[in-house]
Amino acid sequence: MIDPLSLTAGLDATALPQQLLNGLMFGAIYALVALGYTMVYGVLKLINFAHGEVFMIGAYTALFVSWQMGYFQGASGLTRATNPGILILMLITAMVVCGFLGVLIERFAYRPMRKQPRIASLITAIGVSMLLQYGGALVLPVSPPRSILEQVNPYDGNLSIPLKPRDGELNAAFAKAKEAEAAAKATLEQRIKQEGVSSEFDLSDEGKQIRSASQSAAQATRDAENKYLASGMSLNIPYGQGIMFLATLALMGLLTYLVMFTKTGRQMRAVAHDFDSASLMGINVDKIVTITFIIGSSLAGAGAMMCATFLGTQLTSFVGVPWGVKAFVAAVLGGIGNIPGAVLGGLLIGVAETMVVWAGGSQYKDAIAFVILILVLLVKPGGLLGSAKVEKV
Amino acid sequence: MKFWAIRVGSILLAVLVSYGIGMVAQGSSGTVSRLIALAGLYVTLAVSLNLINGITGQFSIGHAAFYQVGSYTAAFLASQLLARGTINNLGTPIPWVLAAVGIAIVTSGIAGFLIGLPSLRLRGDYLAIVTLGFGEILRIIIQNTPQLGGSYGINSPKAFVVPYVWMLAFLCIGACRNLLQTAHGLSFLSVREDEVASGAMGVNVTRVKVAAFVLGSAFAGAAGALLTFNEGFINVNSFTMDVSFIILTMVVLGGTGSITGSIIAALALFTLPEFLRDAPPMPLNAVLGTLAGVALLVGTIRLALDQKKLGRDFLTPKTYMGFGIAAVGGVIVSILANFLPALANRTIPSAELRMVIFSAVLVIMMLLRPQGIFGHREFGLGSIFKRAQA
Repeated sequence: MIDPLSLTAGLDATALPQQLLNGLMFGAIYALVALGYTMVYGVLKLINFAHGEVFMIGAYTALFVSWQMGYFQGASGLTRATNPGILILMLITAMVVCGFLGVLIERFAYRPMRKQPRIASLITAIGVSMLLQYGGALVLPVSPPRSILEQVNPYDGNLSIPLKPRDGELNAAFAKAKEAEAAAKATLEQRIKQEGVSSEFDLSDEGKQIRSASQSAAQATRDAENKYLASGMSLNIPYGQGIMFLATLALMGLLTYLVMFTKTGRQMRAVAHDFDSASLMGINVDKIVTITFIIGSSLAGAGAMMCATFLGTQLTSFVGVPWGVKAFVAAVLGGIGNIPGAVLGGLLIGVAETMVVWAGGSQYKDAIAFVILILVLLVKPGGLLGSAKVEKV
Repeated sequence: MKFWAIRVGSILLAVLVSYGIGMVAQGSSGTVSRLIALAGLYVTLAVSLNLINGITGQFSIGHAAFYQVGSYTAAFLASQLLARGTINNLGTPIPWVLAAVGIAIVTSGIAGFLIGLPSLRLRGDYLAIVTLGFGEILRIIIQNTPQLGGSYGINSPKAFVVPYVWMLAFLCIGACRNLLQTAHGLSFLSVREDEVASGAMGVNVTRVKVAAFVLGSAFAGAAGALLTFNEGFINVNSFTMDVSFIILTMVVLGGTGSITGSIIAALALFTLPEFLRDAPPMPLNAVLGTLAGVALLVGTIRLALDQKKLGRDFLTPKTYMGFGIAAVGGVIVSILANFLPALANRTIPSAELRMVIFSAVLVIMMLLRPQGIFGHREFGLGSIFKRAQA
């Protein structure tokens, strides 16, 4: 599978729809991870710095499951999977392991800090995150094949959606140029025979002119072909990424149902609204916090599994840092604590990144999230969908 | 009269001690001399971050960015303006070095001002992310700027700067200490304790926050410039997020707000990895066992501390049992780890444990003593005498 971000061709308007689509694919993962940040922040008012590391553990869990099922580099007789069973197993395992890890982190690192000032829990979160990164670097596999093999994914190929048919006139011009090229080549070969030399480089001066004419004819054919190909537009979605996007939407739908229409969700919203009053109203706050961490972390696990499988991300114990930080920016952009905001923010960050790459600044791809963050905090600190409240530390 | 005697005396003492350290460094090998210089730089960095995080109560986790601004300023000036012949020998004229440090102070101070401005509108955790993001943006920009060496790095002339490094450290310590003795310093402390209330008492919260950022980053920038002349070569890898976290760990360990705490923690945490560098490789199962044992131990101590808060004894049979469980648990984990084929019989270089230890220290410190070893207190001869009398 090709990395979607490598498919750029300068400021090419025909590449724009494809790039927007790639941005949405990345954005869906950012949104899933951002949901975890935003839910924890909503309930505890804490930036869960270790969320990126939960993502990392999720990706490794998926990797280990795929190894266990026989899909490792160098396995004999490796063929493409025929059914999505392994994918589903990987997804569920990653979600369960991440949910468990999230609960562990909350219980043993964040809960003891709840009575302390906010900065203390923030430092704890940073410490836990670093401990998982560097501790992970000691234990997790470091030998080369560190990403999930694409054979795990039973759905090969692309879904191609034509947006604009290619130009017939350009096609005719292309055919004409092809003919001219063939004619020029024939003349050149004739000349070579005529002069009796072994290669075209030994030709006389007159023959060299014929050779350069043949070369420019070939160049004209290539130009005509490019023009013809660029005149049409189509969207290519690898089936795997399409499934990823749909699964992301399904998980978000499930989350919306859970938060908006169940009793637990109502309790969760109450705790997010006012922690102390909620506990006075008989809500078991600790239970709700635990549930929040389970949901948020398992969403990160799902995102990690899909990202490692369908986007082919290389895994290291530091893989969670960029994803975590960008997802956090997404949460802030949408308004932290606001669930639809996290989704919107995630999609926007994904699109913004691919737009930067499309505009030719691929080396600044990782900086754009921070630029957006600083701009949002300066202009609209509440985020796009959040409410701007002045809060005291 | 006594006032001036103490002032002049302590300044003279600081200068003499700096030159003394410089002479020790000159007499020792190149590696040791470099380490002595780096220790002084880390003291400066920790104390200057303490000014922002501990004394003013802001939360910056991107201190390496200011360090980087100062370092690249000096390297750029030196590599552009100084003769090529002086590169990589200790021949840079000292007035030139000091001038470069001065310019680095200005540029990093400006950077601190730019970051301090948004801090007026941001609460602690957002500010943390902005400082982190600033560092990352800076790193990406430098990596893509060929004039600054790109991702390869930039060569600069060297100079023997050890005495100046330590003079800077003493200057930074003195500035922070003296600040706390004045009414200005009280306004910094009041912003830490309660922003709204101090605003109501007439403290210009905006000015205090920006001043803390500018001062802290200017010191970090000066340290960066001296680093350039000490190393002779810098690249972006010297200023990653890890460096910021190490400085943060120093401040947290020493106690946010305690200058002496920051100094001691900086020296302790700086020397630790140097010992690890020479240590033999560690078996992985022993490391994992130790981590598990420490986790159980921390849990036990926390439970015992909770008991103590309720007025019971700290050392009860249960506490001893917890210690026992921690020891046994650690051993069990280290034995079990050898049964996992992926983990069995692996050794890891001790130097790689550095960041694991730092992060573990950070978490353990927060769980057991969130105010740091020294808390807001200062550590000095005076306080020891007072304790002995009491």
